[in-house]
Amino acid sequence: MDIKPIFLSMKKNKFMAILMIVQIAFTMGVLSSSVLVATATLSEWNKASGIPHEDIIRISPEFFDETQDVGQALVKDLDRVRSVPNVVSIAPSNAVPFTAENMINVYLTNAEDAQEYKTVVVETDENIFDVLQLSLIEGRQFTASDVIKGSTETTPQNAPEVMISQEMARILFDDQSAIGQTIWLAKNADPVKVMGIYSNFMTGERLNGRGKSYQSIIRPQVKWSQNQEPHYLIRVEQGTGTALLEDILDVFYQEQGRYINSSELLKRTQKRMYDGRGSRALTMLVISVVLLVITGFGMTGLTAFQVTQKRKQIGTRRALGAKKSDIMRYFLTENSILTLIGLLIGVLVTFAITFEASEQAGQNFLNVGVILATALVMWLINILAVWFPAKRAANIEPAIVTRSA
Amino acid sequence: MFSYNLHLAIKSLKDKPSLTFLTVLAIALGLGLYTTVATMSYQGSQVPLAHKSKNIFLVQMDSREITADPVEHQARLVDTTYKDTINLMAMNLSGVKQTFNWSTYGILNVEDENITPLRTTAAVTSSNFFTMFEPPFLYGNGWDKKVEDSGEAVIVISKLMNDKLFGGENSVGKTVRINTHVLKVIGVLDTWNLTRKFYDRSYRSASPDNFFIPYTFAMENNLPRRAGFDCWAANADIARSFRNENLDRLMNSECAWVTFWAEIPDEQIENYNQQLVNYIDSQKSLGRFPRETLTFLTNLNDQLLFINGRNQFIKVFSMLATLFFAVCILNAVSILLAKFMRRTKEVSLRRALGAKKKTIIAQHVIEVMIIGIIGGVVGIVISYFGLQGMMNIQIYASDYTTRLEDIEPLFQLNLVMIGKAFATGTVCTLIASIYPIWRICNVPPASQLKAQ
Amino acid sequence: MLKMENVSKIYRTELVETHALRKVDLHIKRGEFVSVTGPSGSGKTTFLNLAGALETFEEGDYFLDGQNVKGLSDDKLSEIRNQKIGFIFQSFNLLPDLPIFDNVDVPLRYRGMSAKERKERIEHALETVGLASRMKHLPTQLSGGQQQRVAIARAIAGDPLFLLADEPTGNLDSLMAQQVMELLEDINSKGTTIIMVTHDDQLARRAHRNIQIFDGQVSDIERAVADDVVRSA
Repeated sequence: MDIKPIFLSMKKNKFMAILMIVQIAFTMGVLSSSVLVATATLSEWNKASGIPHEDIIRISPEFFDETQDVGQALVKDLDRVRSVPNVVSIAPSNAVPFTAENMINVYLTNAEDAQEYKTVVVETDENIFDVLQLSLIEGRQFTASDVIKGSTETTPQNAPEVMISQEMARILFDDQSAIGQTIWLAKNADPVKVMGIYSNFMTGERLNGRGKSYQSIIRPQVKWSQNQEPHYLIRVEQGTGTALLEDILDVFYQEQGRYINSSELLKRTQKRMYDGRGSRALTMLVISVVLLVITGFGMTGLTAFQVTQKRKQIGTRRALGAKKSDIMRYFLTENSILTLIGLLIGVLVTFAITFEASEQAGQNFLNVGVILATALVMWLINILAVWFPAKRAANIEPAIVTRSA
Repeated sequence: MFSYNLHLAIKSLKDKPSLTFLTVLAIALGLGLYTTVATMSYQGSQVPLAHKSKNIFLVQMDSREITADPVEHQARLVDTTYKDTINLMAMNLSGVKQTFNWSTYGILNVEDENITPLRTTAAVTSSNFFTMFEPPFLYGNGWDKKVEDSGEAVIVISKLMNDKLFGGENSVGKTVRINTHVLKVIGVLDTWNLTRKFYDRSYRSASPDNFFIPYTFAMENNLPRRAGFDCWAANADIARSFRNENLDRLMNSECAWVTFWAEIPDEQIENYNQQLVNYIDSQKSLGRFPRETLTFLTNLNDQLLFINGRNQFIKVFSMLATLFFAVCILNAVSILLAKFMRRTKEVSLRRALGAKKKTIIAQHVIEVMIIGIIGGVVGIVISYFGLQGMMNIQIYASDYTTRLEDIEPLFQLNLVMIGKAFATGTVCTLIASIYPIWRICNVPPASQLKAQ
Repeated sequence: MLKMENVSKIYRTELVETHALRKVDLHIKRGEFVSVTGPSGSGKTTFLNLAGALETFEEGDYFLDGQNVKGLSDDKLSEIRNQKIGFIFQSFNLLPDLPIFDNVDVPLRYRGMSAKERKERIEHALETVGLASRMKHLPTQLSGGQQQRVAIARAIAGDPLFLLADEPTGNLDSLMAQQVMELLEDINSKGTTIIMVTHDDQLARRAHRNIQIFDGQVSDIERAVADDVVRSA
């Protein structure tokens, strides 16, 4: 393929060439930056929840009347809710899946410099397994007799044995069995023993953002105080969730002096966990795609213009023996060279934008694979954009050379 | 001559409407997005209380223990202790007003059982809050010092609370309950659009407090305190309990948790700072303030500057919008070039018939300006819809907890932005046309007219 | 070498059918220098296009060196133009961005020759037209006459069956025109067939044979009887 005429032609029409290169560079910069941010943001997005979140209701009550007895109310709540038709199971809990934000550090030893492992500790009773439909992976699952129940004043002791999630076991103990191992839930607290392993479930945004979505520990205890009531997780018969929400709310309001902070299906909680990031990433992506379309049209237009400027030359080449495919190849090659230069510069622009964004967000967005993929897509789109004008050029009749000057 | 050129320009625009349309579209799209982001950035960075923002100061003193880490920037320094709050309030400098606040929360309810109670966040503050920060009142007003000192149970509620609990009527004089406490409504605020809630140092947007109560009442009735308590070692372990209990211990402790503000006229700033230093010295002799004397007086302008500098999304978004605009303009250049170069024959004829270069330029500049103006108008329309779209996205992203009324001002096009958009559109179109016009006016006379 | 039998070119629109060429019979032998004349609108250009395989035709047959050009694919026609025909245009049609050397190179490139062979041919062709020293110059740096000579070099570099010239001196002053005609006669004397379309009767007379086209029909005139116009029915 004869490259020299292409370079000479570009040299003669420097302005057009630069115009094309800059357009491609900017578009590449914007598109790949958006894709990078979007992929990073969405990489931990919409992961499996591990629970039947469409059929679980969460209720978060709070007493504003301080004369009420929280402990008694708890018992009555559980009874009342259990008698509501289509309710399968209810468990009090200090954390709700998708919003378990109380991230803490746990340790394998009691040493000063012990390595910290991030997790969330869920304090709940034996019904949690039925509510969340968790399966026992290894070891033993705790029962009612293991659960320590009481107010924080009267019952200061904590459960000595806990269960950990499958992912937690993997992180802490690798291939070894976690059963019977000791871990510390805080630097100066008493150690606890691992009695069993349960299947993974989604914790919340804080752990998800760090790629540790499924690291959790369940401790068999339910504690309360006047200011701190547990949440309730209620599993209902499939499909009855939306209808039951009102009925269950009424049940809770039977207790006076109370306010329900939150009542919703876990499906909604999950949606909220993912929405914020999702919409921002999506906005940037949409804008970038629009930009890509605009640039595509721009390329088509520019090339069509060049074709009209070069009519006579194209005709001459055809008369001298160029085939239609030779003409097409000429324009496609010229465009590819410009695109390549533009993409290279665009990659530099991407680095600049991504660096800035990474600094701001404290998160590393750079991913060479994504950049290369985006470059490839852009190159293909460009070829497509130039295809039609190039085809038109190829169809210029050789006979025009014998017409007017 | 002008009207002839205008006539030619209009004819040319109508000549190949598809190209005209594409040029306008390219400019409008780029401008629309750019203005959308620029408006979001502009509105979001507006300083609250702009008319006095440089005289509203956050007052901070380093009352921490000797073993604490040194602090460079005021944003990292703790708030004020209760003891110091009361002492500073007793300071009386002419022209200077002071106030302080902390956050609380509670469940507002009324006697009517048909109205469900509402849990909401609120501010506990002093009487000067209303004169210094000027929230707009629908009915009634704030409390004065006398009422405050008496510990009377009064409350100022927001328009939202008023609508929900009293159907929007004038509820001044009516009673409201926080949990089980009964309070009298003495004022109802109108929608208070602060770009950022500065007074509690959260700097959040669109999350207004729904009631305000005097600190005397809040302390007397041990209403929950929603604050971070930065305590000395002696109280570090029980710091969290100060939210709901151990009030006496808290009042006497060195725990910092109250946000303190002063409105200081220019001429008093030096004086005020000196007073702070004097105060610290006097406290040192009592064994307090063990560290080197450090005070910060930061006005609202500086605070907002710092906060806005950390808005990552807008920065990146702005970068993208600018590049987007640039690409659109580049596209406009190509389209204009194609548009003009189609007429080389006509132009060379006109030149042969005596038209000067200037006239050819003028004709095309007029054409370009018309495109720029139309592009500007369409761009503004696009940015209007862009802002509506972004606003709805934000509401969606917050799972509909953010209210339209609170967020609207942040997405509002105003005359300044419209004017800027217009100017930008026209100027950029003109710049885009420089090369195409240069090419077209350099067509030699009669060059395209060889007989054949 | 070149034989047209019963060739007709018909332009059809919705309303009108125009016969640009009507049942043309023609035979040109190797080594001839033939001029083609006729008033404007006579079908000269159409003849040029057909002879140069620049356009297809509906009726008849066109044999180049024994190969029938009719019905060939576009690619095949391109090949024929490339290898068998050497074009010379009235407005030179050099590629303005390329130096002289590369201009002459263009048809050779489409043939896929080795770089060595191309270089030899280009240098030889430019020497023949007397412009070997200007190899690196751009067309804009040359006079009209020089540009046309480059075009001639381009046409002969590939050793075509014949040269097809369209008003080769139309854009040149009389001195340059003279030079170009002499060059063409020289090339013809070495054995290259030349078909030259022109409206200039004086130039036409320098050819061995004159073909006249009038209203789409061809009449063949030997030089000897150029003054008598015989119109075939």
